[in-house]
Amino acid sequence: MIGELITLLITSVLLNNAVLNQFLGLCPFMGVSRKKSSALGMGVAVVFVIVAAGIVTYGLYHLVLVPLNLEFMDLVTFILVIASLVQLTEMFLKKSSPALYKSLGVYLPLITTNCVVLNVCLVNISNGYDIAHMLVYTIGTPLGFALVLYIFSCIRERLEVADVPQCFKGNPIALIVAGLMAMAFSGLAGII
Amino acid sequence: MLSAIVMMIVLGSLLGAGLGIAAKVFHVEPDTRVDYVTSHLPGYNCGGCGYPGCSGFADALVSGDTSSWQCKPCKPDAKAEIIEYLATTPGPDGQTIKVKG
Repeated sequence: MIGELITLLITSVLLNNAVLNQFLGLCPFMGVSRKKSSALGMGVAVVFVIVAAGIVTYGLYHLVLVPLNLEFMDLVTFILVIASLVQLTEMFLKKSSPALYKSLGVYLPLITTNCVVLNVCLVNISNGYDIAHMLVYTIGTPLGFALVLYIFSCIRERLEVADVPQCFKGNPIALIVAGLMAMAFSGLAGII
Repeated sequence: MLSAIVMMIVLGSLLGAGLGIAAKVFHVEPDTRVDYVTSHLPGYNCGGCGYPGCSGFADALVSGDTSSWQCKPCKPDAKAEIIEYLATTPGPDGQTIKVKG
C-alpha cells in the first residue's frame, strides 16, 4: 500500500508530469516563466487551487452526486467549484501580496481554465482512486507542475542574456527548451 | 432532472455566499482615481494604447506603468481634464501623477 502510494507520487510528479508528459497547462507554463519570482508565485497558487479543488470535487462527487444519481453533472459542478476557488485565490493574493498579484496579471484568473486542475479532478474520479490515492495524486500533480515551471523559469532567465540567434529570440527558443526538458524528463522513466 | 436543478442552485448559492464572505474579509480599498480616469476615457476598449481595454489603460496611468498619453480616440478636453485631475489629486501615498500630453 505505502509502496504503491510512493510510486504514484513519483509518477505524478516526475514521470507522468502534467506539462512535459501530458501537455496540460502550457498557457501559464509559457506565460509566467519569464521571472523566477512570478513562476514561484504561480506554482504556489496552482498547488493551492488544485489541492483544494481536488479534495472538494472528490467529496462532492462521492457524497452528493453519486447518492443523487447525478454523475453526469460532474463536469459542470467541478468547473463551478474550480472557478470559485480561483476567485478566492485572486482575492487573497490581491489583499496579501499586491506585487505578486500584478506580476501574475491575467494568468491568475486563467487558472480557472488551466486544464491541469480539471484533469486532476476528473482523473481522481475516472481512475476510481480511494481517498489515500486521491490525496497523493492531487498533491503530486501540481507539485510536478510547479517544479517544472520553476526549472523552466530559471532556464529562461539565463536565456535572456544568452546569445540566441535573432530568429529564435523569445518564445521560439523557449518552446525548444520545453521540448528538450520533456526529453530529459522522459529519461527518468527507468527509475521505477 | 429536478434534483439536478436543485443541486446546482444549492451548490451555486453556497459557493456564492462563501465568495461574498471572502470578499468582505479580503476587501482592499481601491484607488478611486482609477474609477475617475476610466469614466472619463472614451470607453471604446479599442486596445490602441496596448493595454487590455480602457480600464487597463487607466490602471497603467494611475499605477505609473506609463507616463505618456496613448489614448488616440480620446477628445482633447476630456484628455486635459484627466491630466489635470491626476496632476492635482494625490493618491493614497500622497503623490500626484504627471502625464505627458
